[in-house]
Amino acid sequence: MSSQNALLEIDNLHTGFNIDGDFHHAIKGVSFDVKPKEVVCVVGESGCGKSVMSLSIMQLLPKHNGKIDKGEIRFNGKNLAEYSEKEMNNIRGKDISMIFQEPMTALNPVLTIGFQLDEVLLNHSKDSKESVRKKSIQLLKDVGISRSDQIVHEYPHQLSGGMRQRVMIAMAIACEPQLLIADEPTTALDVTVQAQILELIKKIQDERGTAVMLITHDLGVVAEMADRVVVMYAGQVVEQSDVDRIFHDPQHPYTKALLGSIPKMEEEVDELNTIRGIVPTLTKMPKQGCRFVDRCPAAMPECRQIDPQLGETDKGHTVRCLLYEESRPGEKAEVRS
Amino acid sequence: MSAALTDQERIEELKKKAKKQSPWAIARRKLFRNKLAVISLVYLIIVVIAAYLAPLISPHSPTLVDIMNRNSPPGDGYLLGTDRSGRDIFTLLLYGARTSLTIGIVCMIGIVLLGTTIGSIAGYYGGWVDAVLMRFTDFMMNFPFLVFVIVLASIFREAGIWALILVFIVLGWTGAARVVRSKMMSEKENEYVMAAISIGGTPFKVIRKHLLPNIMTTIIVQATLLLAVMIVAETALSFLGFGVPSGTPSWGNMMQEARSPTVIRNSWWIWIPPAVAITSTILAINFIGEGIKDAFNPKSAR
Repeated sequence: MSSQNALLEIDNLHTGFNIDGDFHHAIKGVSFDVKPKEVVCVVGESGCGKSVMSLSIMQLLPKHNGKIDKGEIRFNGKNLAEYSEKEMNNIRGKDISMIFQEPMTALNPVLTIGFQLDEVLLNHSKDSKESVRKKSIQLLKDVGISRSDQIVHEYPHQLSGGMRQRVMIAMAIACEPQLLIADEPTTALDVTVQAQILELIKKIQDERGTAVMLITHDLGVVAEMADRVVVMYAGQVVEQSDVDRIFHDPQHPYTKALLGSIPKMEEEVDELNTIRGIVPTLTKMPKQGCRFVDRCPAAMPECRQIDPQLGETDKGHTVRCLLYEESRPGEKAEVRS
Repeated sequence: MSAALTDQERIEELKKKAKKQSPWAIARRKLFRNKLAVISLVYLIIVVIAAYLAPLISPHSPTLVDIMNRNSPPGDGYLLGTDRSGRDIFTLLLYGARTSLTIGIVCMIGIVLLGTTIGSIAGYYGGWVDAVLMRFTDFMMNFPFLVFVIVLASIFREAGIWALILVFIVLGWTGAARVVRSKMMSEKENEYVMAAISIGGTPFKVIRKHLLPNIMTTIIVQATLLLAVMIVAETALSFLGFGVPSGTPSWGNMMQEARSPTVIRNSWWIWIPPAVAITSTILAINFIGEGIKDAFNPKSAR
């Protein structure tokens, strides 16, 4: 696949944190693309580096110890990793915007909804306050809030969780961004509201042609939303393909294990399937070999010695596991999707 | 709502309703339920009005010296008596309130502005910016206050109370800066700050529009307490003779008379009125400060 027409290209990204004087990579060599009008889901357990990746794209890493170490984040061909703070401010909210996980805390408690929504528009345009307010009210209507001329005068604590997430979405789409990053947008909401919010994101993506990068650990959401899926484990991409092949022909043992962990309605089991163990913490990451080896049901002795590479096993389907010849280093160079 | 209302009226109505729900409105309601704070507030307002309307209220001129009635007890044409040079105590009290309150209020505003600016920048940016600003704050904090004031007061003798105000501000902002910094550091960890940056807010905008409204309660409480501290500082320095130039009436200068043992023992009307005025005003300000602190505390029952 050519990367010429990609909207966002992440190329060999390394992001890490300074912990007690040592630099540890939370993201080690992640590469993937997001094309215009496409929904890419990034899945993986907690601690896989999904959120760090979205923060890297937005340049919102904690300043005192977080840093992009290596690699490029190209947005419309321009490397965001080299952008200054000022240049990033022009991009954030206008070309790329973000929906946060917790609508309870991501809205400022002492400012009205209208004020916060106006601010996005005022940050990126020179419109008058009145016209901006009109647009804000229209945006709230677009995200399905009915009493929107009233809601603009209310404070976040007066709204329900689902309403607040709708407000967050309205803020995110206010300037018609090309890319929307949604970092687990439904995790904090209850199930019925989750479905509505996902439907809304899908509708926005359809109507406005916004590309969406959806970060989630819920495979149900993935099946619902995704065009393409990137499976991450411990700061690396372990498998990447279109949504059908991920669900019907998973190749990496981790992807298989994730899919195996979904409880099935038709089967009666005493114990739910799980993946034993946890993602190794940044400071305890194995220096050599496959990062999944300790939890992998198919682990081989050589998995501890050889670093598997991301190899293309099928057109548009890449995997990082020594079970596949394509992943052995030297035999085939690292392939980008 | 009746159907006769126009859209414009309806929106105004909604605005009003929403305003009642703002954190400020809730705090205001709580404050007005606190009796002590309300009484203190009324008292302070009366003192402020009396102070600034002194020329209209006072029965005599502050410079009028009645040689025949020096050191006379209350009554006989002088409501609170006269001091040792024959000036009306009540008039001096009013004019003194003006000086003392002006110093307190101007210092408070200056200190809050300076302290908030430095504290916000240090707290928001952290790292070396914080280190440099906070070491500077420590340095200013360790300045020997009294020595500095005495030296500057003797150099700028001519400038009157404004030199004193300047010295108070320059030496007084450190505490406020530290409080604002620590509040800023904890507040900026909230996700709404990241959200504000993610919609393209510049650091200045994020501090001014998002963070400062959230720490405003702390700043307001600090400001009320500062007002009290500054009035006390003025009084103490004037009492020692290094504060307000002796020609200008101020509560501190009036207390200075009490340095003489004969006044303390025999002429209670000279020093009791300013002492009561100082104490009651400081108490009132502190009660208001406590009331505001309570009102903004979501856990307080009142």
